[in-house]
Amino acid sequence: MYVLLGITGKDFTIVAASKAAMRGATILKASDDKTRALNSHSLMAFSGEAGDTVQFAEFIQANIQLYSMRNAMELSPSATANFVRGELARALRSRKPYTVNLLLGGYDKITDKPSLYWIDYLASLAPVPYAAHGYAQYYCLSILDKHHNPNIDLEQGMRILRMCTDELKRRLPIDFRGVTVKVITKEGIREEEYADDHKVVCP
Amino acid sequence: MASVFSGAPPMSGPGYSFKQTPTVASSGNREHSFYPYTDNGGSTLGISGADFTILAGDTRSTSGYNINTRYAPKLFKIGSEGPDGAGARIVLSVVGFAADGDALKERLDTIVKMYKYQHGKPMSVAACAQRLSHILYNKRFFPYYVHAILGGLDEEGRGALYSYDPVGSYEREQCRAAGAAASLIMPFLDNQVNLKNQYMPGSGVGHALEQRVPEPLPKKDVEELVRDAFTSAVERHIEVGDGLQMMIITKDGIQETFNKLKED
Amino acid sequence: MDSLVSHYSRPAFRSEGYSQDEQQELSEIAPSLSLKFALPPVAQSSAWLRSMTDDYSNPNCPIKIAHGTTTLAFRFKGGIIVATDSRATAGNWIASQTVKKVIEINNCLLGTMAGGAADCQYWLAYLGMQCRLHELRHKRRISVAAASKLLANLVYSYKGMGLSMGTMCAGVTPQEGPALYYIDSDGTRLAGNLFCVGSGQTFAYGVLDAEYSYDLSDEAALELGRRSILAATHRDAYSGGFINLYHVKEDGWVKHGFSDTNPIFWKTKLEKGEFSNVTADLE
Repeated sequence: MYVLLGITGKDFTIVAASKAAMRGATILKASDDKTRALNSHSLMAFSGEAGDTVQFAEFIQANIQLYSMRNAMELSPSATANFVRGELARALRSRKPYTVNLLLGGYDKITDKPSLYWIDYLASLAPVPYAAHGYAQYYCLSILDKHHNPNIDLEQGMRILRMCTDELKRRLPIDFRGVTVKVITKEGIREEEYADDHKVVCP
Repeated sequence: MASVFSGAPPMSGPGYSFKQTPTVASSGNREHSFYPYTDNGGSTLGISGADFTILAGDTRSTSGYNINTRYAPKLFKIGSEGPDGAGARIVLSVVGFAADGDALKERLDTIVKMYKYQHGKPMSVAACAQRLSHILYNKRFFPYYVHAILGGLDEEGRGALYSYDPVGSYEREQCRAAGAAASLIMPFLDNQVNLKNQYMPGSGVGHALEQRVPEPLPKKDVEELVRDAFTSAVERHIEVGDGLQMMIITKDGIQETFNKLKED
Repeated sequence: MDSLVSHYSRPAFRSEGYSQDEQQELSEIAPSLSLKFALPPVAQSSAWLRSMTDDYSNPNCPIKIAHGTTTLAFRFKGGIIVATDSRATAGNWIASQTVKKVIEINNCLLGTMAGGAADCQYWLAYLGMQCRLHELRHKRRISVAAASKLLANLVYSYKGMGLSMGTMCAGVTPQEGPALYYIDSDGTRLAGNLFCVGSGQTFAYGVLDAEYSYDLSDEAALELGRRSILAATHRDAYSGGFINLYHVKEDGWVKHGFSDTNPIFWKTKLEKGEFSNVTADLE
């Protein structure tokens, strides 16, 4: 089961996704990137049915980029989220729906605020301060409930993320091979160094 | 990935110790599906006060959409001295499968009587409550299909009320509704007896609101609550109606009353 | 002469009352806390019981047994903290909000209740009886290791019959110090420092693991236990009601209240700024 995590703070959004690509009981790749940049300030992380995930993400990515080219401006994260939801909802009512869960992190340059959207494969959309998908929900949401507040800086945000990934390492029976971490700020999207080779033990 | 996380998801808590796939009787003899239960409907309720306990139940007995009878009592005096129920201090109410309820009543009654003959004193409600739990659990693997409520007065003379699940987990409470209309009556009791979601008038707005503190209700008020609960349940539940049997346990004994409910 | 008299007379009280056998015959019922259970007249009694009572495999089962929980216990330098919620559910129906899920086996031993409420209540009462018998037979208290093994062996003998329990035994004895064991109806028995059991276990683990250390102060440990249960009641719909908190110390356990979650939640949110996904505004 893949891990998706999202945390917003004062001036940033962190999106983290596990690096393992699994098929049955096999890890096919241990450096998979389960995110796609939609435009300079929106990033989408995905998990779900194999095949559907990347197909859907890249379809969305292409359409968002097409919009930017046609209109010479970028969609805001909230507009992007609603577009994604719409596409997912349309597919849901077609002959072959996409079974994809998504987190959409962004930074809105007009309102100057970070944003995070939680979208599931049934096309429910919710703007949230922090989010998780899959089994990560069961372990991480209680940590985020306790330690998150909207005014944290990036350093504090990374510290909370560390608590979450450590807990997953400690309690999930499956090695998800660490996470890739991307941060969206006013300056755009960047990948953050994230050491995940240390050992965590159960108390 | 589903194969690795087979069976219950981690949030389901401790799983049953059943095997994941139900095993089928291997070969040879096959048996009919065994279904020894039926739901006879109806509802019961109990409320305890400072020096009394009231138990009540409707007297309709149904199977499916049929009404078997309009008078099948669900309240039983336990440990009485004769057929008229004299000398009893404990009342058992059972709702669910009436035959199981009857069997349960007989067992408990016998035990409480034997206790009195052997020890020369009546059984306390606390002891009777624990014993009832053990009787129910004795059939853990072939349960009684009943929700039981036991009422009486404790050793300090206060009202005592115990409620049970079908296999004998029990708890002492202020009030409890069971049976078909439990989901209609219990929220009403939460609000009116334990004063849930009631706030002190004028204590403020929002987070400043102060919760009202519940205290034991007088007998007259409780009787009215019981009547209201049942007349309302009759309006909205098909398995409840016909008659309202009430037993009020005080230090002077058990007072039994019967009132008509709507018979449609 | 004396020997003749003693041979033909019996003490006056010998024949008084009923013998154990006579009692049983009269009441025709198994004695209290016995191990003789009635079984349905079918070949596969566990499959039958499953179809009647297991609402996980059969949501339309006629008999709904009370379930659902968050319980936790952890060892630290000041002893053991035991904390639980108080909700019992039967399907989607909240059967009770005031369940005592910490069972006081004796003044030094606690058991917790997850899974079937009746199973836990009955078998922990049975364990309490066995512990007392051990005391009377051996003139010293039973160790937590022995008590937990008694329970584990007991439930293991019923494996496959449909018991459902996940319990923790916490206690102190002079020979062991504070000891904590996890026992479930599969027959698993584990000694450990920290366990969470029930449908809300993962949420409790999240908060607990993040700040747990063996060197916690008493106050910090109690607060962490309380906060972990609060986290679980917030995210797990099958958990809620009241927080039941116990501290097991050298000279027995101490109860630290049975407190409503709702005011604790709002206090935590408004004073500490946690739970930022919930709005406190009235509009």
